[in-house]
Amino acid sequence: MGIAKSSGHGHVPTCFSVIEILYAIYGTMRHEPQKPGWEGRDIFVLSKGHASLALYCVLAHFGYFEKERLGTFGAFQSDFGCHADRHKIPGIEASTGSLGHGIGLATGMALGLKIGKSDRRVFTLIGDGESNEGSVWEAIMVAENLKLSNLTVMYDNNMSHSRGLQIRNPVSHFKGFGCEVAEVDGHDVDALKQELAKKAGTVRVIVANTIKGCGCKTLQDNHYEWHRKSPTEKEYVCLMEELDEATV
Amino acid sequence: MRRQFSETVTSLAEHDDRVVMILGDVSVYLFNGFKEKHPDRFYNMGICENTLVSVGAGLAAQGFHPFVHTIAPFITERSLEQIKLDMCYNGFGGNIVSCGASFDYAWDGATHHCYTDLAILRLIPDVEVIQPGSRKELDTLLRTQYRNGKATYFRLSDHPHAIDMDVQFGKGVVMRNGSSRVTVVTAGPILGNVLGACEGMDVNLLYFHTIKPIDRDLIRQYRHTRILVVHDAFGLYEAVCEVPGVSASYHGLPDTFCSWYGTGDDIRKKLGLDVPSIRERIRKYGTKARVTHVF
Repeated sequence: MGIAKSSGHGHVPTCFSVIEILYAIYGTMRHEPQKPGWEGRDIFVLSKGHASLALYCVLAHFGYFEKERLGTFGAFQSDFGCHADRHKIPGIEASTGSLGHGIGLATGMALGLKIGKSDRRVFTLIGDGESNEGSVWEAIMVAENLKLSNLTVMYDNNMSHSRGLQIRNPVSHFKGFGCEVAEVDGHDVDALKQELAKKAGTVRVIVANTIKGCGCKTLQDNHYEWHRKSPTEKEYVCLMEELDEATV
Repeated sequence: MRRQFSETVTSLAEHDDRVVMILGDVSVYLFNGFKEKHPDRFYNMGICENTLVSVGAGLAAQGFHPFVHTIAPFITERSLEQIKLDMCYNGFGGNIVSCGASFDYAWDGATHHCYTDLAILRLIPDVEVIQPGSRKELDTLLRTQYRNGKATYFRLSDHPHAIDMDVQFGKGVVMRNGSSRVTVVTAGPILGNVLGACEGMDVNLLYFHTIKPIDRDLIRQYRHTRILVVHDAFGLYEAVCEVPGVSASYHGLPDTFCSWYGTGDDIRKKLGLDVPSIRERIRKYGTKARVTHVF
């Protein structure tokens, strides 16, 4: 929230819907922050690339880089753009931003690992709004047809498109494509980790029910207004007070 | 040319276990040999061109050399963003191989034509754009480029020219050098028609199989002449015009859909890309006092 305030950038409500998911994924997968190119690592692809600020914070938390570097978020020639660039930041496996791309990339990565008979896993996080894109369902079809049991798709069901094309029954959609599907509270880290640790005979989809702007009532009640907005100093104080009330 | 594609890639796969074939439900029988020899590296992935490219990029991220193959308009125009972002911006390059470009599927109408592939792809940073004109050219260029880590586009044709020549990636070929004040420039399979049209005429003739990077040094040598680009696609003319000091005209596609069905030769004749029409265009061009643009 502080970075969004000082930089004037950031998709804060979506970051607050996925922060526990990202924390749970990095708490589950095999990775070595000091050796981001370690050949035995699992892979995470943030398909909903506009949540990059949340991903940066989690990567910093796990020690990929110093948190202070995030102070340049969105600034000219910063390494930390509003959509991540894999060439600039350790731990970023794919440069994403245009919706509906990361899941296809993750499918190809999982296929490559399967061909190489590796036990490494691939995780990707897609959004419910992102799933308006047909390419998401193409990738799901392909991944399931290939029985990519090393691929776990996390679906951030934050109801971001209730005013547009909201997918109202994602569990049955993914089941219809043949995936193994679980549904979980997307803000419950322990429950998320429990589901992330499970493996299946094909693609595993975890529908994480989340709240956009979770923890800040103002964001939750006005998430369309806040989708791409950063807080003023005064708004920041109010939002942080709300966050304290909800979480501390 | 598709048969050559299959033969070359199958040969490469025998010595390189990083070669992976991804088909969009096209040329499936042609790759039966590949499938039998390397079942774990052969995937007829379905009619989902966006995902074919994304999966190819994901494979490249894991160190493979993917070949993604289907019909030209669907793998290039429909999947332009996947090529741009997943392969090029991410640096997960692979081989994108099309068939049916221009009017190879003339009878199927404009939904299956593709004229813009070369032109749009060459605008993407760090991509290679290749239009081989013959089986031999394809074989050479596939072997030299397939594992260089870049996104490389190969535009196949079912109607290659029959001229035998050695080629090198990125190098244009001087087919005729008559020290003429008129230079004809062309690319790909239509070279057969263009060469026939130039027979007995006092013109220079340059041929390109690599559209990007275009051989600027060669074009520069002829910029004192009046250049006529004869091509059944967009992209070559623009590449030629970007060389400083060049004055060029274009003889090829009109600003309309070529929705006349028939055969590829029917369409070429309608557009003035048959041998007599090209010859007449060159003759008129040679007698004009100043450069005019056909667009």
